[in-house]
Amino acid sequence: MAKAGGKPSATEVVFSIQDHLPALYFAFGRGKTELLAEEISREWDFLLPGEKEKVAEIIREAEVQNTGLFGHRRHNLKQILIQGIGYHHAGMSPALKDLVERLYESRLIYVLFCTETFAVGVNFPAASTVFDSCRKWDGREFRGLLNREFYQMAGRAGRRGFDPIGHVFVRIDDRFPEQTGFYREDEVEPVRGRLAISPNTVLSLLYWKTDEEINRFLEQNLAAYQNNRESRRLKGELEALEGKNAELGNCFCENIYQPSCFLLRAKLKNELRSLSRRRKRGRPGSRERREEIRAILKVAPKKCQHHLCVDARKKQDLYTEKRTRLSRRLKVLDRHSRDFEMEFNNMWDLLEALDYVDGRELLPRGLFALYLHVQEILVTELIFNGYIRDRAPQEVVAILSGVDYIPGREEYVEPGLIKLDHVEELRKYLLKKGVPENFCVWSHLPGPLSSAWYDGAAFEELMARSSLQEGDIFSMLRRTIDLLRQIERAAGEDVELRRQMEHIRHRLDRDEVAIMGI
Amino acid sequence: MSKSAERVPQKRKRKVFRRDRVQPPPPGPLELDPFQVEAIESLLAGYDVLVAAPTGTGKTLIAEKLLEKVIASGKGAVYTSPIKALSNQKYRDFVAQYGKDKVGLITGDLSINEGAPLLVMTTEIFRNWCFANPEMLDQTTHVIFDEVHYLDDAERGTAWEESIIFAPGHMRIVGLSATVPNIREIANWIADIRGRTVKIIEERRRAVPLNLGWISAEGDVLEEEEAHEYIKEKVERRKGRWAESELAGAAGDYEKRGRRS
Repeated sequence: MAKAGGKPSATEVVFSIQDHLPALYFAFGRGKTELLAEEISREWDFLLPGEKEKVAEIIREAEVQNTGLFGHRRHNLKQILIQGIGYHHAGMSPALKDLVERLYESRLIYVLFCTETFAVGVNFPAASTVFDSCRKWDGREFRGLLNREFYQMAGRAGRRGFDPIGHVFVRIDDRFPEQTGFYREDEVEPVRGRLAISPNTVLSLLYWKTDEEINRFLEQNLAAYQNNRESRRLKGELEALEGKNAELGNCFCENIYQPSCFLLRAKLKNELRSLSRRRKRGRPGSRERREEIRAILKVAPKKCQHHLCVDARKKQDLYTEKRTRLSRRLKVLDRHSRDFEMEFNNMWDLLEALDYVDGRELLPRGLFALYLHVQEILVTELIFNGYIRDRAPQEVVAILSGVDYIPGREEYVEPGLIKLDHVEELRKYLLKKGVPENFCVWSHLPGPLSSAWYDGAAFEELMARSSLQEGDIFSMLRRTIDLLRQIERAAGEDVELRRQMEHIRHRLDRDEVAIMGI
Repeated sequence: MSKSAERVPQKRKRKVFRRDRVQPPPPGPLELDPFQVEAIESLLAGYDVLVAAPTGTGKTLIAEKLLEKVIASGKGAVYTSPIKALSNQKYRDFVAQYGKDKVGLITGDLSINEGAPLLVMTTEIFRNWCFANPEMLDQTTHVIFDEVHYLDDAERGTAWEESIIFAPGHMRIVGLSATVPNIREIANWIADIRGRTVKIIEERRRAVPLNLGWISAEGDVLEEEEAHEYIKEKVERRKGRWAESELAGAAGDYEKRGRRS
């Protein structure tokens, strides 16, 4: 069935696995899932006429509930669903994802192209899983899947009480065969502690916890615990090593390194040979040293089992080498054991410099940031420097939707009328004050979309004004709602600010952006 | 079937033989596995429990059994999940199971029925509650962390850690995890920090065993050994092609000339 020169297209892969359907076909990249789905839809059709009608019926119902469900961009999906093929990724609207999920659960999709998120949590088992590739973009680089990630996804193969075996297929990419993944379940990576200390962590600890509790947190978090355990293990190993080393010392006689000892004599003979070479002969001191060595060697060697001493000596050398390795690692661990304390203190200093705290006392800014959980410093500064209060809601929503927003490559939004340069200024000012970059994340990009949505624009309109996918716009607005709620909570007694946020939030939480079915 | 496909290739699409037409649908509720029974018993006996089992082996069932009991006893429980969409889904499931008035949902951008005995949350929200309003958890006996191996997530792992460290002392911790090799270490850590024994329930066997295969450029399904060989051959052939062209080209001539002189 293979084409000449064979790139194994998804079409051919489906041919090879047709006895093991339905399949979840994992691809890394939204565009990729769509491309592959479209590719196999040109050749394959999995549904019987009756089932097609059922699919059409379900789609019709979904469209009644959500007008413009497929929008302008997803007409192809509607077509291929009728053939029992689908795709599923984070760029799609929740309503559409839900439709695909329901069709899958009703066993009306035979090959579903999806991204990693489909494998987390909710259980959608299949007869087989296929990996289009074993490399993914993790936000920083392309890397091979970890064993843990692979098995999380692969494990969807095999429906309980239905399939005797779950089949997992890894496609070998003809262009990069060496990148093919091989995985072992018994080599799944251990879980490591990953504590990171945020401004909110420091504020929360200072405000709600005692010194003792703070220390316990810094010294007994999982990373510190694992670090301590490793140190303890290494120390044990070192001690054992010292013991063995000392034991070896007993092999040697009292004459060790005396002129009669073989160990010394062997060493001296080596030195003599080296000094006798033409290159070193003429060096100052060389002659004297040679004579000295010859004088020592004149002493009669001791008659002993010197090979035992040689063996012991060699072993000692090995131990020394291992000891240096262990103590070096121990030093690294030791250095890191104070990391959290340092990180905590650095953040505390920064918060003090920015007037969030005074010693253990929280100042108004600190008390405000205590209830914020994204970009707490940046948001607090926006509020306290008058960027939000009494401003036009369109401007407020444009600013807030940009908080913690990292634009994707080639993301494009038609610029709006609201100028947001002053937020960029504030960001730069904070950076200059020493706030780390990752606590000052803001982008002007989503602003025009969120303010248009506030003004009552249709979802289609937002789509038309940007290159963002519907799922991205949805989550951007949901995140803004989340932030608005945080500010409401932080506002506390400040009724005016709370009302302002509430008002914006209610205008945002509507139509396509509302959470459905709840 | 394939004949007709050949006759009118551009109109008809390929079809597969649909085995599932003759197969019965999957049976209803299954019997509990020994590890599930063990986990449920330890939970009902009031232990902190860490369950590590492969995906799809029925960890959720363990949580559900516990929730039933907690709700029946008039106390409360918190269920945290790593992804917001998942929380919404779980909320819907639980509402269908226990009724609307028994279940609440709290994520960053949504909150429904905050006073319900069973609360579905994102881990971040639970972490915030542990700091800001632990008194809201006074009547809550258990917190269930689904996918607790998210501890190792570079961006979000902190929320799990702070939650485990600062969850109110009276609460029992239930961790549901994928298979990880150092589950014992994590259990010991939790036991250490919370000052209580943590039971470890581990199931390494999958409910349905997996069989790995590799698909070659020709569409053949290969076993691991064959795949290794196939890849080696491919890589070598590519290298070979490169070397041949070099031999035939300037480098080859250069070598001959060099030998002559």
